[in-house]
Amino acid sequence: MGAKGFFTDTSVCIGCKACEVACKQWNQLPDDGSFFTGMSYDNTGDLGASTWRHVEFIERPAPPTGGPGDGFSWLMMSDVCKHCRSAACLEACPTGAIVRTEFDSVFVQPDVCNGCGYCVAACPFGVIDRREDDGRAWKCTLCYDRLKDDMEPACAKACPTDSIQFGDIDELRARAEARLAHLHDRGVTEASLYGADAASQPGTDGLNAFFLLLDEPEVYNLPPDPVTPTKRAGEGWGAAAFAAVGMLAAAAAAVLGGRRS
Amino acid sequence: MTDRRNVDPTLGILEGEGAAQRAAEADERVPFTVWAETPGRGPAAGATYYDRPAIKEPVWIWSVPAYFYAGGMAGAAATLGMVAQGDQELRGLVRRSRWLATIGLAASGAFLVHDLGRPERFLNMLRVFRPTSPMSMGSWALAAAGPLAGASAVFSGGPLRAAGDMAGVGAGLIGPALSSYTGVLLSNTSVPVWAAARRSLPVLFASSSAASAASLLELVQLSRREERVVRRFGILGKVAELTGMVAVERETGRTERVGRPLREGLGGSLWRAAKVLTAASLLLSAKPGRSRGRRTASGLLGTAGAISLRLALFHAGKASARDPRATFEQQRGGERATKPS
Amino acid sequence: MIEGSNMAECHPVGFQWVMEAKHRGATVIHVDPRFTRTSAMADLHVPIRAGSDIAFLGGIVNHIIQNERYFREYVVAYTNAPFIVSDDFRDTEDLDGLFSGWDSEEGRYDPTSWQYKDVEVAPAAGQREMGPEAHPNRGYRLTPSTGQAQVRQGAASADLRAEHVDETLRHPRCVFQILKRHYARYTPEMVEEVCGISRQQFLGVAEALCENSGRDRTSAFVYSVGWTQHTVGVQYIRTASIIQLLLGNMGRPGGGILALRGHASIQGSTDIPTLYDLLPGYLPMPKARLDRSFDEYVHNNISTTGWWSQLPKYVVSLLRAWFGAKATAENDWCFDHLPRLSGDHSHMTTVADMADGKLVGAFVMGENPTVGSMHGALHRKGFRVLEWLVVRDFHLIETAEFWRNAPEIDRGEVRPEDIETEVFFFPAAAHTEKDGTFTNTQRLLQWHHAAVDPPGDARSELWFMYHLGKRLKERYRSSRKRRDRPIKDLTWDYPTRGPHEEPDAEAVLREINGYVVDTGEPVPGFTALRDDGSTAAGCWIYAGSFKDGVNQTARRRPGVDQNWVAPEWGWAWPANRRILYNRASADPDGRPWSERKRYVWWDETLGRWTGFDDPDTIRERPPSYHPDDDAEGTDTISGIDPFILQADGKGWLYAPTGLLDGPMPTHYEPRESPIDNPLYGQQCNPARMEWKRRDNPYHRSSDDPRFPYVVTTYRLTEHHTAGGMSRWVSWLTELQPELFCEVSPALAAERGLRNGGWATITTARGEIECRVLVTERIPPLRLKGRTIHQIGLPYHWGRSGPSRGDAANELISFVADPNVSIQESKALTANIEAGRRSRGRRVVSGGRE
Ligand SMILES: Nc1nc2c(c(=O)[nH]1)N[C@H]1C(S)=C(S)[C@@H](COP(=O)(O)OP(=O)(O)OC[C@H]3O[C@@H](n4cnc5c(=O)[nH]c(N)nc54)[C@H](O)[C@@H]3O)O[C@H]1N2
Ligand SMILES: Nc1nc2c(c(=O)[nH]1)N[C@H]1C(S)=C(S)[C@@H](COP(=O)(O)OP(=O)(O)OC[C@H]3O[C@@H](n4cnc5c(=O)[nH]c(N)nc54)[C@H](O)[C@@H]3O)O[C@H]1N2
Ligand code: SF4
Ligand code: SF4
Ligand code: SF4
Ligand code: SF4
Ligand code: SF4
Ligand SMILES: [Mo]
Repeated sequence: MGAKGFFTDTSVCIGCKACEVACKQWNQLPDDGSFFTGMSYDNTGDLGASTWRHVEFIERPAPPTGGPGDGFSWLMMSDVCKHCRSAACLEACPTGAIVRTEFDSVFVQPDVCNGCGYCVAACPFGVIDRREDDGRAWKCTLCYDRLKDDMEPACAKACPTDSIQFGDIDELRARAEARLAHLHDRGVTEASLYGADAASQPGTDGLNAFFLLLDEPEVYNLPPDPVTPTKRAGEGWGAAAFAAVGMLAAAAAAVLGGRRS
Repeated sequence: MTDRRNVDPTLGILEGEGAAQRAAEADERVPFTVWAETPGRGPAAGATYYDRPAIKEPVWIWSVPAYFYAGGMAGAAATLGMVAQGDQELRGLVRRSRWLATIGLAASGAFLVHDLGRPERFLNMLRVFRPTSPMSMGSWALAAAGPLAGASAVFSGGPLRAAGDMAGVGAGLIGPALSSYTGVLLSNTSVPVWAAARRSLPVLFASSSAASAASLLELVQLSRREERVVRRFGILGKVAELTGMVAVERETGRTERVGRPLREGLGGSLWRAAKVLTAASLLLSAKPGRSRGRRTASGLLGTAGAISLRLALFHAGKASARDPRATFEQQRGGERATKPS
Repeated sequence: MIEGSNMAECHPVGFQWVMEAKHRGATVIHVDPRFTRTSAMADLHVPIRAGSDIAFLGGIVNHIIQNERYFREYVVAYTNAPFIVSDDFRDTEDLDGLFSGWDSEEGRYDPTSWQYKDVEVAPAAGQREMGPEAHPNRGYRLTPSTGQAQVRQGAASADLRAEHVDETLRHPRCVFQILKRHYARYTPEMVEEVCGISRQQFLGVAEALCENSGRDRTSAFVYSVGWTQHTVGVQYIRTASIIQLLLGNMGRPGGGILALRGHASIQGSTDIPTLYDLLPGYLPMPKARLDRSFDEYVHNNISTTGWWSQLPKYVVSLLRAWFGAKATAENDWCFDHLPRLSGDHSHMTTVADMADGKLVGAFVMGENPTVGSMHGALHRKGFRVLEWLVVRDFHLIETAEFWRNAPEIDRGEVRPEDIETEVFFFPAAAHTEKDGTFTNTQRLLQWHHAAVDPPGDARSELWFMYHLGKRLKERYRSSRKRRDRPIKDLTWDYPTRGPHEEPDAEAVLREINGYVVDTGEPVPGFTALRDDGSTAAGCWIYAGSFKDGVNQTARRRPGVDQNWVAPEWGWAWPANRRILYNRASADPDGRPWSERKRYVWWDETLGRWTGFDDPDTIRERPPSYHPDDDAEGTDTISGIDPFILQADGKGWLYAPTGLLDGPMPTHYEPRESPIDNPLYGQQCNPARMEWKRRDNPYHRSSDDPRFPYVVTTYRLTEHHTAGGMSRWVSWLTELQPELFCEVSPALAAERGLRNGGWATITTARGEIECRVLVTERIPPLRLKGRTIHQIGLPYHWGRSGPSRGDAANELISFVADPNVSIQESKALTANIEAGRRSRGRRVVSGGRE
């Protein structure tokens, strides 16, 4: 079973939020309460335990390059779990609740999770979250149940403009490259791919859900250069070892020094 | 429309992947303050997404720093107990250290379970052995050290004393790991201030653990010689702790924004408090001559210092996670994964 | 060109094709007061002052004519540009904003002087005017004169002589020259002054259109209610038609004017109308004073030339379908059973009558007027004095709760205990719970199958109407009264299914399709319908939808398995034709205008029309066909006429009849506007409908100091119209939880509004409160050095259900377009202040501040 994932092309996203609703409906997720945020048309705010797709709205007083300058652009982007090639949440999970599926997606088993919350602090994208009134951590499942039945994920199915494209990662990557080239030809020079492969995002070994962006990652609340913490754990463990030895030494010194006096 | 799922259970089947998710009737918590700037204008424009956090704030509560403190202290106590085993004159210290380790580990485990969203499933911690997860490693360490420490304490004397000593060695060897892994646990996250301090945190936690153990031992009755051992152990621990704090400040200081929560806000105050308390405790215990009162004072100060230190790091981490600029500047600045092009 | 439509937000699924076109290189232009999710995807967004589109489009007409950018061959052959207009006609140029025939006492036009010279032509779909002076029409019948018969003048040539036609388009009174003079003053400068659109931007758009039209290229216009909801709504669309005819973009692939309709089957509800003045298939409703008998009705509404000559076949077939065997030639096919129009019974007129106590009861089915219709307070006033009100809906919507949950009740002006109206609420089945068709924007009928049974007492409309009908028939069974005859004679025998006796929807579609009375055989199409009573059909334009006894609307053959027109997906009226007037996709000789744009063409060897689609002309009629003088009916349609429903077979640049407010679109200001009409002395559409009553106060027509700002209202993707289908779904309300207004930073500064804060908007009709979104997306406009601020306001909220908010329509008055009586909800004036509503303070979002 080859790696499956998403190519989310923000340049054709019309911000209809069909993906957000389709996700909630298919997965039968509760609403997050209705709050007016004042953040353009985004009243969701961020991904969370019961929001596995989140559409962002960025009002930018600058025209898209290539487009005829009328001084303004409205960027929209549907965010989702990145199903990282090297997944911080999975590597942090002490219970083994988070597993990598045959589709190379990252899946949380609700019947195993004990709500320790470690994955929440580990995820470099602020995706997975613990629902307090439930006690467990939740996130996008890449519609594991649908994939099992050879159906594409609900969000991709609902997306009218194919901003969300689902498929085999390699094929998606090729499509993304082509789309990027097309946009660059049209003069949209700021278009870029985010997390398309390990080369461009070594910190995560690349994302199985990657994006085409029209501005810097920060504008979309994406970390510019994310790293899966375990990639640096060596340094931590090294320090710990050093500290351990130090402690033994200190104890020895304390005891022996005591004898000499 | 029930359970906020827009599904009437009498008509629809609830078997979606999120259907098992418990949701309280109404969500009274307002997740954010209304954005008062004109979108696209103001300092946030182009720099952040309405200043929304880039990562999730750790969901942990007070019991997590408590679990760090108790576990670390216990580890240090077990270590000291083990080293002291060799010396007949130190049996009293050994016994007390072992009990301290036992109580500490029990408390630590209890605190950890208390923080779980599903405490009844705490045993799942031992479902897998996952080296990439410091929490998994820590759980195993706790699980292993706990019984050993207990046995060593119970059999400190009497016929099974030999077995007690063996258990003491076991616990004592795990001890250093117990008192330092929590530093790895914190730094092995995406929380900027914690991740930045990944080299210094384990050292800081170990030293502070030593200081914590010593401080508590300073509060109990000991022979003169034992007192001196504890005092030396404590002084070494506190000196290392203070040095470790400076190291952490330097490591996190590489990106101004990342180090900020250790200087400002609740985290900053607690951090400063920890410094002062530890320093004071150090001075008292370092002062030559012997005084019951001074020992107690130093012990109390040292304990307070060690606890504020963990609370400081805990709150600094939360603040750091809430600050998207910390995340962005850390990755744009010093801590790049990609080679700066 | 997307103008007056927010396609991405309101037709998101259809918008995928716009994105597809854009990917293939199409230029997408969005003309809208606001920068919307559509603008975000467009190549160019042109901000325009709400209510000023005719000036903008008129400017484009002027640009096309002045710079000779029109498609001459197309214009000469397929439009009425060469026709010469009556000498009595006077233009707005001569009368400062009025056309000839204005009757100031009656407050309406006498359109006689707008006719062609010496000819009276009938409007398609019969007479519009209500007045007794409506003209029984004789199509083109003139005493043969000796002038040269024109080559290629279609139906017209049978009648019009040299002196009536000038193919050089130079005759001072020919349509083309009149048009040229009429739009001469719509200069780029004028556009800038009226619409607030800079000359450069205007010229950019005009040129983009011209460059993408002609033999090899076509451009399309997309509009929706951003154009229709004005006191000149119909004329907005007329202006676009003029542009598309001049540029040769009608009846050709990639061209046309796409009216994006509203509710999933709102098109269907005009084809088989819920409109008071139409019978199915756009047959005019009989008028009390004019159509006293079947013959009079036919005489008044038939056109002796063109396709409307077929009218009797359709009326007789309809009456046969309704009254079956009871309808005979002797009793005029029960024509007298049909109700007669005594006057205007459009929505707002009826509601005004209701408020005056002239109605006993009302059925509200699939509508939420106290939120969705203008001036909610006036609606509720009407409901309060009804004896009974029936509401069929999913939830207890505002309309069903008007008696206990309304602003006037909050304010203590009305007490529920004083309201005597008896309200009956019936739970309705949703489209997923019943069989039936949707007729969409492109006239495509698509069958939907019931997925589940409706819960509890919920029933379909079909069930409700059928069983109500049965009860009525039972009630009047033994009645001898003549007035009860229509109900007694009505055929009412649909097979039913299941425990609830749900009528079989396919049986209804069969009847609509039509059948041969003796055999019951479904007719293959409308050409098979007869006026001798041998056929019956519920709606002539739908004939063919059940061809061969097969439910054609249920066809779902994937596009990839058929030609690109995909004729086997669903079924389009008429005759499964996907592009109307497609005869125009070929040149007069029947050859495609270009390879790139070939669609249907004349095949000499086969001796008939062929192509990718069903040709919109008489199949075997060669381009060379030319009717002789005594030709009748469809024989008068020449081989080149693409617009066969028009009496002259031509596209009308100038409408000699059929409209109540002028033959050519003219810019008038909205009823409530910040400025004086810069083009004419005449401020607003003189023929507009007004309701001058104390409970429907208007602002000063221009520059009312109390109400200095322009308000326009619209939709959000996240909600649906008056909210009955969205405000009860928390997955949607969490996406747009509260009513808000959109204002520019400049207006925010001027009025002290803060993003995320509260604002109160007031008009003479009412006061509402809403949250504030300050955004660059609704820029202020500069008109003649004066700044015009616009306020954007979605209208989805009401006071019931989980997501509550004030209703925008509390602000809007009763005022309408004269042709179709649509309200002016897209441009009005108001005032805005920071802070919450003065009285009846209330927390709006799901019980939360
Ligand atoms: N999600 C969603 N989809 C819907 C509906 C819904 O409620 N929600 N409603 C359905 C129905 S019933 C209908 S009728 C259609 C309506 O579809 P649309 O007509 O697209 O909907 P609106 O938002 O009412 O108006 C469209 C645009 O007209 C602009 N506008 C206002 N005044 C003017 C003007 O004077 N000139 C120009 N050029 N533009 C102007 C507004 O800014 C708005 O962006 O949508 C249908 N689809
Ligand atoms: N200010 C302003 N006002 C406007 C507009 C605007 O742009 N601005 N737009 C206008 C337009 S274009 C329209 S179409 C109207 C719409 O205004 P309305 O038609 O009054 O509002 P809807 O919410 O569409 O009402 C449809 C109702 O039918 C119910 N319903 C849905 N399906 C069924 C069914 O199968 N059977 C029955 N019995 N009920 C059903 C829904 O729950 C809903 O309550 O609003 C108009 N009003
Ligand atoms: S994005 Fe976060 S939650 Fe998703 S796989 Fe990566 S680390 Fe895990
Ligand atoms: S919260 Fe659940 S999923 Fe996350 S790390 Fe802990 S056990 Fe694993
Ligand atoms: S893949 Fe499935 S679970 Fe994930 S966002 Fe899409 S719909 Fe939701
Ligand atoms: S469904 Fe597609 S177009 Fe709509 S918001 Fe989601 S990603 Fe964007
Ligand atoms: S709501 Fe229905 S009609 Fe409207 S866009 Fe979506 S699918 Fe099409
Ligand atoms: Mo509509």
